[in-house]
Amino acid sequence: MSSESRGEVNPLETSLRLQELVYGLEIRKVMTSEVITVSRQTSMREAQALMKQNAITGLPVTVAGSQKVVGMVSMNDVMNALEKGKMDDTVFLWMTREVQVLHDEMPLSFAIAAFNKYPFRRFPVVDKDNRLNGMLTFRNINLALIRELSQQLNKMEHLIEDSEEADIFDLVKVYSLQQHDFENGGKASTEIKKFLKRRKVPSGVIRRVAVACYELEINLVAHSLGGMLGFDINPERIRISANDLGPGIESLELAMTEGFSTASEWVRSMGFGAGMGLPNVKKISDEFEIHSEPGLGTMILSIIYLKKENGKEGDNDDS
Amino acid sequence: MKLKQIQEALEIDSLYGPVDCGNLDINSVFTSDLLSDVLMCELENLLLITSLTTEQVIRSAGIIGITAVVVTNNKAVTRGMIKLAEEQDIVILQTRFPTYETCLRVGRVMEAS
Repeated sequence: MSSESRGEVNPLETSLRLQELVYGLEIRKVMTSEVITVSRQTSMREAQALMKQNAITGLPVTVAGSQKVVGMVSMNDVMNALEKGKMDDTVFLWMTREVQVLHDEMPLSFAIAAFNKYPFRRFPVVDKDNRLNGMLTFRNINLALIRELSQQLNKMEHLIEDSEEADIFDLVKVYSLQQHDFENGGKASTEIKKFLKRRKVPSGVIRRVAVACYELEINLVAHSLGGMLGFDINPERIRISANDLGPGIESLELAMTEGFSTASEWVRSMGFGAGMGLPNVKKISDEFEIHSEPGLGTMILSIIYLKKENGKEGDNDDS
Repeated sequence: MKLKQIQEALEIDSLYGPVDCGNLDINSVFTSDLLSDVLMCELENLLLITSLTTEQVIRSAGIIGITAVVVTNNKAVTRGMIKLAEEQDIVILQTRFPTYETCLRVGRVMEAS
């Protein structure tokens, strides 16, 4: 860390809420258990090959038998050895000897503190006998935090769900949809429709929301590898978002063209795949966005306003 | 027109719905085997004529508030469809006539009333 940035607030240090979130999590629940190690006699060339094969940037050096960690050899060490033409040296000569280990029973908050304190990007994790048991990187922490956060969000959603009172208009809810699970495709729309009906939303608006939602649900089960449909409702507008895990859309222009479809015969036999789903969602939304990347996934956002002045003309009839 | 007039015209063998559903009003008719088209339909007191027999037909019907669904070609109505229809107050009628013949017969009833 440079001296200039020392004055800046470190987000990890100040986030007490984060500490609270990970308080009960032990490092061993978060770490990677399958660790690739090298011995002191391994050559730098072999170490480099191992890193390359496994796409990792650091290896713990252990004593065979006791599994005690005596050093860490990193990509940096490999580069230094390469520069000097010493790739046939043993890792023992080039490794970092000051190794900071973490104990697998420590809470994750300790690990976060360790990432703040030391310049290392990965920590060997040891058991109570000091035997290497796993590795911990920022990636592990990120994944654990995402997992914890989504659990917390789930709890919050259930709290909201329990309040059946018709005067509460705010709702945040996420539905998970599996690939080809047509049986459950449509449940979210039915529930949202009921929610809006109970709150006396004009039927024209309810219809648009339910149709947009249903088309997006069907899209998720018919075309994606699985994903989520999220609702964020307040008295102003209904925001529907669909996120999936792939395969992504090759050409958005084609996907938004009426009549274009990549649906299988099976999907078509159920009455879908006419290539009207996405164009229709766009048509009935007040705001519509689509982002997609082949191999990564697709994100669709549809916003429908509840207030007449903002909504689509002529569509918000109260009949 | 009333649902019972359609029932007679189509010589319906099986009907899934409440006992008094014959008195339901039908003001418009829509025919499609493409659910996206069904979903964009904005007619009221609607009768849907389709040869699809998936639960998604009933779900789609529920979303846009369809009154009754006629399943043509004597296709088997599944238990799942019946359950969903009950939950959403949708009547299902099953006819042996193909879709075209069904449309003609319903059209005649519409003209007469």
